[in-house]
Amino acid sequence: MKKFDVLYVGLLLIGAFWTFIVNSASDEPIDRVQPCDLVDIVAQTDKYMTTDELARRLMSDDPTLALIDLRSKNEYKKYSLEGAINIPLENIVDPEFEDAINQDVQTVVFYSNSSDLAAKAWMLTKRLGYENNYILRGGLNHWVETILRPREPKETASRSEFERYNFRKAASAYFGGGSATGEAVATKKPKVAIKRKKKSAAGGGCD
Amino acid sequence: MERSKTYMNSYLAGILIGVFMIGAYYFSGEGLGASGALKAVVVTAVNDVNHEYAKEAHFFKARVQNEEESPIKSWLIFEILGVIAGAIISAAIAGRLKFEIGKGPNISSRTRLIFALIGGIFFGVGSQLGRGCTSGMVMSGMGVLSLSGFIGLIAIFGGGYIIAYFFRKLWL
Amino acid sequence: MGPLFPLGTIGEELNLLIGFIIGIGFGFLLEAAGFTNTRKLAGVFYGYDFVVLKVFFAAAITAAIGLFLMNHYGLIDINAVFYPKTFWIPTLIGGFIMAFGFLIGGFCPGTSICAAVTGKIDAMIFVLGAIIGIFGYAFTYESLWEDLRNSGKMGRVNIAEWMGISDGLFILLLTIVAAVAFFAVTLIQKKVTEKHDYQL
Repeated sequence: MKKFDVLYVGLLLIGAFWTFIVNSASDEPIDRVQPCDLVDIVAQTDKYMTTDELARRLMSDDPTLALIDLRSKNEYKKYSLEGAINIPLENIVDPEFEDAINQDVQTVVFYSNSSDLAAKAWMLTKRLGYENNYILRGGLNHWVETILRPREPKETASRSEFERYNFRKAASAYFGGGSATGEAVATKKPKVAIKRKKKSAAGGGCD
Repeated sequence: MERSKTYMNSYLAGILIGVFMIGAYYFSGEGLGASGALKAVVVTAVNDVNHEYAKEAHFFKARVQNEEESPIKSWLIFEILGVIAGAIISAAIAGRLKFEIGKGPNISSRTRLIFALIGGIFFGVGSQLGRGCTSGMVMSGMGVLSLSGFIGLIAIFGGGYIIAYFFRKLWL
Repeated sequence: MGPLFPLGTIGEELNLLIGFIIGIGFGFLLEAAGFTNTRKLAGVFYGYDFVVLKVFFAAAITAAIGLFLMNHYGLIDINAVFYPKTFWIPTLIGGFIMAFGFLIGGFCPGTSICAAVTGKIDAMIFVLGAIIGIFGYAFTYESLWEDLRNSGKMGRVNIAEWMGISDGLFILLLTIVAAVAFFAVTLIQKKVTEKHDYQL
């Protein structure tokens, strides 16, 4: 009887390994955004705003500008861009913020530390059909590198680079560069309770 | 010396039961159960005797609303009828079809029967509260990887091991 | 693609007939494995016969593997089959009560029915007790049991998901644990029965 016992238990083990291998091999991330949409969205090139452009607009007090800080409340409190309101990424599709980002009057610029969260927010809102939203290219990290602490170009650099550097130096002074703690003068500051919600991807099919 | 030569290899029996369980799920979408059948017997009996009461009482009402359908005409009942037939066939083949009382060597038949009754009552209550018995809730539940099946497993077998010592006289 | 009856592929009569046939298989196998012998059943708690453990886990693992693979290869839709929802409080408490029933009575409903129809008088009494128990429960349901039975509701919970691992990994781990357990209990059973012949 012993031999048969081993056979049967062995069969079970083989079956279990088969299950495990099959399961691991086929784990795909659940991607609710349909592939065709994604290609269209990603192909759009006019979704970025450079740090220079943003600086320019801020310095000229552009009233159509609406900055959205996608990071957590704590990060926002520590440092944020002038006039930005804080909508952490996981709350981006909350109804209370819809008015801020689904509109066609202002130019909404999403930013985060890099382009990462901003790109996600942009994708999500684009899928929902919101227009006039942009991603701050490079995010705050790039903002610090280019605007707050611009690097002096080499002697062999082109003239446009020097011009840009001069602009950035001026901007740096304007924004209190050197120290990364600007005062956030908020136009409207909704009380955002950060709830750890599951990220709700926009539904809908490929139509 | 165990007379287990006449019994089927345990692992093989288990695997085959698993296969039949897969069949039950594949064809009928049901797990293999048993306590549900006993419940159906009770429900049908009460319903036949006093339908008005059955319609209102919480325990019964879910099953007796539709006057056309009898709670006894269910997949589970047919399955249990099959179980009865299958058990008889197997016992007949193996020569185990006879009247007897299974009991431990140190107790009398009378004691055994009394405890069988008490044990049955406990199981009747427990299976209703626990929402299934070992076959329906635990085995079938584990087959679909339901958490409740595993909770049942730990509760029944864990509980059993804890109290086994106190009832050893019945068996050893 | 299964399950055939819930998805309308087969009719009710055929479904009931299939239930009957599957029951035959189940009953036959339970009896053949020795589950009509109440001392064999109790043996799992005392170390002299682990048939319950072996059959149980072999069956559950076989079914889990089979259903998973069938679901994976599109032969069955696992979301359309019966799935016991998790109510952890009543299941835990009910399980404990059932443990008493098992040790005192020496059966569980399925095995008691098998045993009763093959002549075991103690099993017949057990079935009678179970029915009495259900009657008692039914008539005291609203006052004593209803709230408890509905407590601890967790809905449809997959244990692998609950533990944060994949189904496949869980099944593999379960099988490995079971295989180790099989090996261990074989040794235990040998040791325990060496000292005393239980005449099962």
